Amino acid sequence: MNDIALAVALFLLGNLVITLLAAARGPTAADRMLMALLFGSTGSGILVLLAVAMSIPALVDVALVLALLAAIGGVAFAKRAWQEDGHD
Amino acid sequence: MSFAFDLLLAAALLWSGGRSLSVDRLDRAIVLFIAFGLLMALAWARLAAPDIGLAEAAIGAGLTGALLLDAYGALKRRKE
Amino acid sequence: MTDLIMPWISGTLLIVGAFFYAAGTLGLLRFPDVYSRLHALAKADNLGLGFVLLGLALQAESIAVGLKLLLIWPLALAASAGVSYAIARRADSLGVKPWCKDSP
Repeated sequence: MNDIALAVALFLLGNLVITLLAAARGPTAADRMLMALLFGSTGSGILVLLAVAMSIPALVDVALVLALLAAIGGVAFAKRAWQEDGHD
Repeated sequence: MSFAFDLLLAAALLWSGGRSLSVDRLDRAIVLFIAFGLLMALAWARLAAPDIGLAEAAIGAGLTGALLLDAYGALKRRKE
Repeated sequence: MTDLIMPWISGTLLIVGAFFYAAGTLGLLRFPDVYSRLHALAKADNLGLGFVLLGLALQAESIAVGLKLLLIWPLALAASAGVSYAIARRADSLGVKPWCKDSP
């Protein structure tokens, strides 16, 4: 059972890396920020799976904090950093 | 399986760290830094240190990213 | 009986969750504009997270641990809904046009 959790975690990490490679050279600023949003949900998924696979229950708390604070980054981007600059 | 996970994590960590230092545009560097913070939190989790992982997820991926984005917006507003 | 079947149900849920995550990533990479990418990402990824959490909560040792796992899901849903709303509203106010089939 722990094997399948680790396998799914590896698959999600592969997802994350592919998105990172593809979106780091993405055309608009919004695309790169969407990548950060994806990092929040995928990252908390990986952390929960690691908590089960390595039997460290405290990692669930890390996943909670990550799910909460990834939202702050996204809102800060939308409200503050994203302005017209001709690249969008 | 766990070796493959660690290898992929380490490679992504090194790539995003180096790239966030060497990229020429500020907004890309900030997003890469946020990605680096998240991967670092995963690495601490993988090293069985959930307390440091918690701090890294809260400070590195969350608050520093938001502060840097805010500072970037303020810089750009000042330039106009 | 339950002990025999539960790992299978749990594993199936994990794999279904991984499928939805892959669908979200594919949507982020392939869709044409900001709005459709938000649409793919915010829904498919959080559905995948829900399946993964449900699969893990089914094999938790106690009720409290399982409920704590399931508690992450409403939090992630609320967070991603808020962020998606903020980004889409900002894109609209900056004048980003939604993609149409005829536009290049």
